[in-house]
Amino acid sequence: MNSMKSDMKKKSEIDFRIVALGAAVALLVIFAGGAGMSLLATEILIMALFASSLNLLMSYGHMVSFGHAAYFGLGAYGFTLAIVRADIPVGLAVFAGPIVAMIGGLIFGALCVRLTEIYFAMLTLACGQITFTVLFQWYDFTGGDTGITDFMTPRFGLSEQYFAVFTLTIVILCLMFMWRVIHSPLGLAIRSVGQDRYRAEASGLNPRQLQLIAFTISAFLAGIAGTLFAVFHGNAFPDYAGLGFTLDSLIMVVLGGMKSFAGGIYGAIAYTLLKTYVPLVIQEWELVVGLILLFIVLATPFGLAGGIKRLQTMLGMGGKP
Amino acid sequence: MNQPILSAKAVRKTFGKFVALDNVTFDLQPKQRRALIGPNGAGKSTFIGCVAGQIPGAEGQILFKGEDVTKLQPSALAKRGISRTFQISRTFLHMTVFENMMSAFIMARGSWPSLSTRVFSDLEDEVHAMLGNVGMDTRANETVENISLGDRKRLEFGMALAADPDLLLLDEPTAGMSIKERHHLMDMVVELVESTGKTLLFVEHDIDVVFRVAEVVTVMVRGSVFVEGTPKEIAANEEVQKVYLGEGDH
Ligand SMILES: Nc1ncnc2c1ncn2[C@@H]1O[C@H](COP(=O)(O)OP(=O)(O)OP(=O)(O)O)[C@@H](O)[C@H]1O
Ligand SMILES: [Mg+2]
Repeated sequence: MNSMKSDMKKKSEIDFRIVALGAAVALLVIFAGGAGMSLLATEILIMALFASSLNLLMSYGHMVSFGHAAYFGLGAYGFTLAIVRADIPVGLAVFAGPIVAMIGGLIFGALCVRLTEIYFAMLTLACGQITFTVLFQWYDFTGGDTGITDFMTPRFGLSEQYFAVFTLTIVILCLMFMWRVIHSPLGLAIRSVGQDRYRAEASGLNPRQLQLIAFTISAFLAGIAGTLFAVFHGNAFPDYAGLGFTLDSLIMVVLGGMKSFAGGIYGAIAYTLLKTYVPLVIQEWELVVGLILLFIVLATPFGLAGGIKRLQTMLGMGGKP
Repeated sequence: MNQPILSAKAVRKTFGKFVALDNVTFDLQPKQRRALIGPNGAGKSTFIGCVAGQIPGAEGQILFKGEDVTKLQPSALAKRGISRTFQISRTFLHMTVFENMMSAFIMARGSWPSLSTRVFSDLEDEVHAMLGNVGMDTRANETVENISLGDRKRLEFGMALAADPDLLLLDEPTAGMSIKERHHLMDMVVELVESTGKTLLFVEHDIDVVFRVAEVVTVMVRGSVFVEGTPKEIAANEEVQKVYLGEGDH
């Protein structure tokens, strides 16, 4: 009885040793690797947050989104437009990004959760394309395909290394928040709907309501990633909301591993490294990435995280999240 | 007689051209234990689904505690005191037995909109007690994927009880269990239902179990109520025997 008590508690608590380990590795890369490595680390960190926000939806809410970049893009544009069109100072505009993304998630989510499975996915695709098209076409307001540039010093004018540390801090806080959500009563309800919506409904839940909450939180986190990305590069382009980024997020989650909290993080590391280094060696880098993806999906259905867990059990270690 | 807790009036349900339920009229008295039997495809599960809200679009009227609940969503019906289990048990396969039961409690109590794990600690004792009631406490840490179908049925029964419902609908609660397990489970069901004053409607193919547990038996055939009576009356009814033998099910 007592062991059980501590078990549920333990599961929901954040293991700060792992957080510290992750942060230490990141800091080592940032400070030992110099400016170039810091830029790469920043990109990986932002992608890790973006992929994790989709992972929340896919692994825990059992919802596959084919339009997740919409919220990344809304984050970037919410921030950028707040500065350019509303003259809001940068320090405040950073809050506009995630809020705009969250509102976008709430509105599109309300539409999408009316359907399930592939029909849900198709609706998210449609919502994503609507967002992209509006950003792309509305020249007067969004700058259209030329995007918005030169409105701020990239990285708030911070050095590559200090901005990487800043990003690391934000991403860690966001991931801790996400962990907290997943292991809270709210998270248990979200997971319940994801695993059997009929059982959850028969027990008194409104599944759509829970799905909408999960969708909105996910959009909010993607919006933070998008805002960071706009600050990082000091620009915003419609592509940030386009199919390319949507696909990237899906690949990262599948590569990193579904059903695992760390899936998005592993996926972002592996995918960004592949995207950066493979083109240096071979031109058809997409082919290589495709083959690697194929191999991983076939070899370990739950991605890198699943593979790592299996290795740990084989070596007789306890399973880390 | 009292006002029935559940009253179905001329309920009809079609799937396209197929008539799954036709003119089903059915009264259930509070605290009664009622069995719903009939050959495969008779419409038993469909009826349960119409009452509990999973199957929308029934014609006619379903009254629960005097209120017309025909068009309500399952979650609304659950809040009014209707709990059910499914013929093919529905549980959360990738969670532990304990998490399943915890989830059932926070859903039933409406305490899910929270980020605080205090909610869990406050419910912990009740969760263990309910797992104990259905004989699952020793398996609390096992993932549901890895437990037997019979155990999943027992778990789901406990999850339905977590809502402390007034009306409990069990669709083939003993399917997939051995004879010994069946009797054991149903004795437990009777005890829990009696002690908390609940009304029970259960679908069951095992005639021994039906006669052991039910106070009244309703026989359905091809979407309609064929006959209703005490277990003794039903056992003696030649028509019923013909239906069962004729359809060659058991
Ligand atoms: N969603 C559906 N669409 C079409 N037909 C359906 C649907 N659900 C049930 N039916 C049909 O309605 C009839 C009644 O089904 P139901 O599941 O209620 O039977 P049952 O009495 O529970 O049988 P069993 O003992 O096999 O569980 C069956 O012929 C079934 O094929
Ligand atoms: Mg049935």
